[in-house]
Amino acid sequence: MKISFTLNGRRVEVDVEPNEVLLDVLRLKLGVKSVRRGCERAECGACTVLLDGKPVYSCTILAPMVDGRTVETVDYLASNGELKPLVEAFVKVGAIQCGFCTPGFLLTAYSLLRRNPQPTVEEVKKAIEGNICRCTGYQKIIEAILLASKLYAEKRSERKEG
Amino acid sequence: MALVEDPYALLEKWLKAREFIVVGKGIERADAFDKAIGKARFVEDYFDKGVLFVKQVLSEEPHAILEGIDYSEALKIPKVVGVFTAQDIPGENQVGYALPDQPLLAEGKVRFHAEPIALVAAEDIDAAFEAVERVKVKYKPLPVILDPLEAMNRTDVLVHEENGSNIAFRTKVRKGNVEEGFAKSDVIVENEYRTHHQDHLYLETEGALAIPDFEGRITVITAAQYPHLAQSIVARVLGIPMSKVKIVIPYLGGGFGGKDDEGPLVAAKAALVAYKTGKPAFLMYTREESLRIHPKREATIIHYKSGATKDGKLMAIEVKIIHDTGAYTNRGPFILWRASVHASGPYYVPHAKVDGYCVYTNKFPQGSFRGFGNPSVQFAAEAQMDELAKKLGMDPVDFRLKNLLRPGQTTITNQLLDHSVGIAEAVEKLAKKMGWWEKRKAFTEYNKRSKRYKRGIGIGVAWHGISTSRGVPDWSNAYIKIDKDGSVTVYTGIMEMGQGSPNSSHRQIVAEVLGAPLDVIKIVFGTTDAPDTGATHASRGTSIGAIGVLVAAAKIRERLNKLAAELLNARPDDIVIANGKVYVRGNESKSMTWQELIKQAYARGVDVSATGYFFLPKGKFDDAKGQGYAYPAYSYVAVAVEVEVDTYTGRVRVLKAYPALAAGRIINPVQVEGQMEGAIAQGLGYVLMEQFVFDEKGRVLNADMTDYVVPTALDVPVVEKPVYVEDLFKYGPFGAKGVGEMALIPVPAAISNAVSHALGIRVTRLPLTPENVYFMIKKK
Ligand code: FES
Ligand code: FES
Repeated sequence: MKISFTLNGRRVEVDVEPNEVLLDVLRLKLGVKSVRRGCERAECGACTVLLDGKPVYSCTILAPMVDGRTVETVDYLASNGELKPLVEAFVKVGAIQCGFCTPGFLLTAYSLLRRNPQPTVEEVKKAIEGNICRCTGYQKIIEAILLASKLYAEKRSERKEG
Repeated sequence: MALVEDPYALLEKWLKAREFIVVGKGIERADAFDKAIGKARFVEDYFDKGVLFVKQVLSEEPHAILEGIDYSEALKIPKVVGVFTAQDIPGENQVGYALPDQPLLAEGKVRFHAEPIALVAAEDIDAAFEAVERVKVKYKPLPVILDPLEAMNRTDVLVHEENGSNIAFRTKVRKGNVEEGFAKSDVIVENEYRTHHQDHLYLETEGALAIPDFEGRITVITAAQYPHLAQSIVARVLGIPMSKVKIVIPYLGGGFGGKDDEGPLVAAKAALVAYKTGKPAFLMYTREESLRIHPKREATIIHYKSGATKDGKLMAIEVKIIHDTGAYTNRGPFILWRASVHASGPYYVPHAKVDGYCVYTNKFPQGSFRGFGNPSVQFAAEAQMDELAKKLGMDPVDFRLKNLLRPGQTTITNQLLDHSVGIAEAVEKLAKKMGWWEKRKAFTEYNKRSKRYKRGIGIGVAWHGISTSRGVPDWSNAYIKIDKDGSVTVYTGIMEMGQGSPNSSHRQIVAEVLGAPLDVIKIVFGTTDAPDTGATHASRGTSIGAIGVLVAAAKIRERLNKLAAELLNARPDDIVIANGKVYVRGNESKSMTWQELIKQAYARGVDVSATGYFFLPKGKFDDAKGQGYAYPAYSYVAVAVEVEVDTYTGRVRVLKAYPALAAGRIINPVQVEGQMEGAIAQGLGYVLMEQFVFDEKGRVLNADMTDYVVPTALDVPVVEKPVYVEDLFKYGPFGAKGVGEMALIPVPAAISNAVSHALGIRVTRLPLTPENVYFMIKKK
């Protein structure tokens, strides 16, 4: 069947099987490689994308369900500047080791910070609970998200002043 | 003046450096940005249309004679290109790393449930799945043996008939006279400990893409940890020269040792299909396959007896170590050697007797995993230390401080430690900084008042030999070239799985030694285009692995200093090159840029390329007695933790962790912290939540991430900044020893000692799941 949706700001049309998952459509049919395959069971968060602005596991979203909706991935949000403070913070504090989990964490964190621009440590931990990182022990990821929250705030106040 | 080219002299020269440009700083890693925005490429990202999908046919039996494989029905599916079994292997079907006991694809019999039997190749994934279903394997089941103690004592059921016993390998350490040692002891403690399997659970599963080219060569993009090992295994399986195999290891989504074992095998499987079909072939394990197939952290039974005098001196240990190696030894003998020679913990013990047994059972093989046989034996050794301290009425840290190894002492293999032994200082500093003695008392008091929640504080101290064990040869190498515009390319076999050695420490070492700016330095890693650098394992990426990088850079630097001295009219020793600026010490007006200097090198016939071969000097080791030179140096680590136990539910929470490290020079503190924090979390998962559940046939019942549970952000403690003692190692780059594995090793000891303190019950078995802890409390 044919579906069409907005992928990273552009309308795409693609032929899918009714039981095909969004992860495979993105990776294998549309060439989006920043979405990673970790467990294929909604347990690790490596495949996180934003669906209408909310983080979801693309490994368990059936492709027909995204028909007419909006999907965003990390490469796009990074290229349009939306993720800049988060990327900067992750790089700076050393929150990236193998980096396989990182796009998923960035999207989850991004959506947290939009909902809650100044989260507490506990709120950050709760928000990223569905994303597994096997390398870092999470401490630097939490630190990076808190730093990003400050960087976003600076950006907002600059914008106001400017 | 003759140029210094001798690698030992160059290493020594740079070991003396006291001021640094970039070494010792938390420089951002070169790959972080690309990884963040999803641009960094992992194995699966190279998959493209037109590539064959490979799926594996896995054994449904744990132990059986293979009577036949019928795949005629599979071949009838239009998109199926072929099915390949052991019969189709053109070279050798033998991939055992330590002993020749392991086939790539099962032949004659299967020895564990999910053992790979055949490969199916198809033009699309659905056809591949369907074909797997249609392959009919005929088994004649054999009795299954799962308990290593039973396996040791039986010869009627043999996992490997040709071996005549289920004991695959034995080790021995004999130092002094243990009878005498126990006779002189005032207190003796004896216990049996058990530890369980652990999966690496790297977020990216194993995969490989093999591409044949028109010249009969084959390139394999694979998730391995040692390109040249993958190259030799692929060449052996295909029966072609190594020069016809090129290995590229892209970014890996974690390795932790697991991909050192499974990586070359995945590569060989994909390569076999590509070789037979002439088409690119791609194999990626699903999470379930990964959990079922690849080798795990060993499960162990450790019997431990130790004695000490009443003034707190360790006198003797007698240890029996049994490793359940599963169906194949894989790296089991090496793992057992490591456990055996580290059995004492980092303490001086005059009398030691250690016996190790590596035992076959019908389970998945054991393999390399961060710590490599050491976390389990340090768990036992450190439990013994706490029990001895208790009997002696001494504080656990005070007792340890009396026995920790110091320079000039010998290990249980009678190896003299002449330098780089900073552990006693590290433990003392850590205990003071965290307020160990006060906390220990405060928790004991708290537990008298608190009924439901009990708190404990415990410490684990450990050591870990750097490089391969005993006399096993080890070396380093790298190739560096500088282009006309001053850009520097470093080729190394060390790969990048998150640990950061190529993209942080190697870059820093090259920038320090050459004086080139960081941003012109590019590391090409994980490739057989580089000279054989050895594996990225055994915490050797930044230690042994980077020696070659340092030596190659140092050779070029000698030449550049001579050239710059001529150009700036000064003595070579007075030339400073730092951050891309070349000048005369004390007279910065006499200067030029890095780019100008390199241009001059090209104009004046100065070679700006070099290799950095270095052969690690080692002493003799007597395998029969387990005596002699076991490792060139040891890294040391301590982790103390605070825990809280809910005695109603058995749930253990680790509240805080305090690490200390004596691993020589710290090249990049931010990366080291990352390794420590990650290792502590992985160790915590091992102790508190991760475990495999088997049925009576040895089938894994929880082969998915829903039921094999690893820590999330809610489970991990705050990890304090590490305490460092930079006990420089004379052959390490700037004195660095290894870091990657270190902080995991003492975590089982630290947590279980803390839980023992909280509950007043000796923990002798892992994991400490709520259920196990609950019953432990009940039994008391
Ligand atoms: S791959 Fe989707 S959650 Fe793990
Ligand atoms: S950085 Fe490797 S899984 Fe998170």
